[in-house]
Amino acid sequence: MSAPTDERSDIEVTNEMLLGFADGQLDAAQLAAVEAYLAAHPDRAADVAVWRRQNGALSTLFGPIASEPVPPRLNPHRIAAQATARRWDWTRIAAAAVLLVGVSAGTGWYLRTATWQEEPASDRLIEGAVAAHSLYVKETAHAVEVTANDKSHLVTWLSNRLGRQIDTPDLTKQGFTLVGGRLLPPLAETGTGPAAQFMYQNQTADRLTVYITAATNPPGKPFETYNDDGVEGYYWANDQITCTVIGDLPQAQMQTVAKDVYQQLSWRPDPPARS
Amino acid sequence: MPALRRYARALTRDADRADDLVQDCLERAIRKRGLWQPTGPLRAWLFRMLLNIHRNDARSRRRRGEHTPLDEMTIEPSTPPSQPGHMALAEVARALDRLPDEQREALLLVVVEGASYADAASILDIPAGTLMSRLGRARAALRTMTGTGEEPRLRTVK
Repeated sequence: MSAPTDERSDIEVTNEMLLGFADGQLDAAQLAAVEAYLAAHPDRAADVAVWRRQNGALSTLFGPIASEPVPPRLNPHRIAAQATARRWDWTRIAAAAVLLVGVSAGTGWYLRTATWQEEPASDRLIEGAVAAHSLYVKETAHAVEVTANDKSHLVTWLSNRLGRQIDTPDLTKQGFTLVGGRLLPPLAETGTGPAAQFMYQNQTADRLTVYITAATNPPGKPFETYNDDGVEGYYWANDQITCTVIGDLPQAQMQTVAKDVYQQLSWRPDPPARS
Repeated sequence: MPALRRYARALTRDADRADDLVQDCLERAIRKRGLWQPTGPLRAWLFRMLLNIHRNDARSRRRRGEHTPLDEMTIEPSTPPSQPGHMALAEVARALDRLPDEQREALLLVVVEGASYADAASILDIPAGTLMSRLGRARAALRTMTGTGEEPRLRTVK
């Protein structure tokens, strides 16, 4: 809806400008034009008056909240300190992953540290995992290529394509069952080859995906976390595979699930003979 | 921070849930800043993140079949009821709750948080024209629901 032009002004007064007037968003020239227009159009002036009363009511309702004392749990310093404390759990996993990579790849710690900064393949893999997650969790009929009914075929097929013996983690303890999986194309400059995506779902239709590729070369970061707009990602890598768990569950739940996935998939494919 | 709390409270109409939302938002902000620097001004970035978390929460609540409690917020008794030129606050609050989410988010950003139209459009990630039409529809709907469309027309403003 747009209001007719005011004859006495060379600025056209639109409905948007009237809204802007009520919200105090106009510049001086527009302000003068609208004031002149309203003086000549009492019906529109009445509209603006109603909008301003709406503003007044909303400000009265919610304005005072900003002057309430902020509870200590919302203190950013405190939150930052707690975040560091919680990360400890993941730091231990990361340390374990570093140890695995170090021991089995036979490369030195310092060498790897240097390559991390040059080759953040983990970032690209996480982004790829997030993109694939966002794309397919919305699907109903075509969420997966091969369903969980055909699980042994799914696992064999994807293991062959990745060139790694992989398996679907069992997340029933976490309330999630396997929906199925699909093959995804390789990501540029990661050198990992194609990716396998497994999708899981719980009873409330929350979905999460596990994105697995062959290991990067050089090995890269053993672990990384990601969060964007409520989507959480946990990435870890060993000398065989990289694995990214993606979902939009609450953080604590995501961490539990990701740890479970890590524990199930961080096997050694060819364990050294025990003597 | 007080503004984030205010926006969260106005969106959720539940003090505890609002503070949970802000806490979640700050936690994510602190974690995420370590990995990826936010683009654009911090304030808009925080509001955008808060909104996204709120929408996710609302979505999973709906999936779980929970209903958002209405009118949990207490109306200050000191506020004079329905003076001429004032709207009945409880009535406006109820009407606000019945607005579509997208209209409520836009209206509160502009009116309560005082965001410029450009900032609000950026926070909501919508074109300016879409913002204006949401604001226009929100105001029309509020007006219908609060019955102020039938009030006698005023002759002047200001």
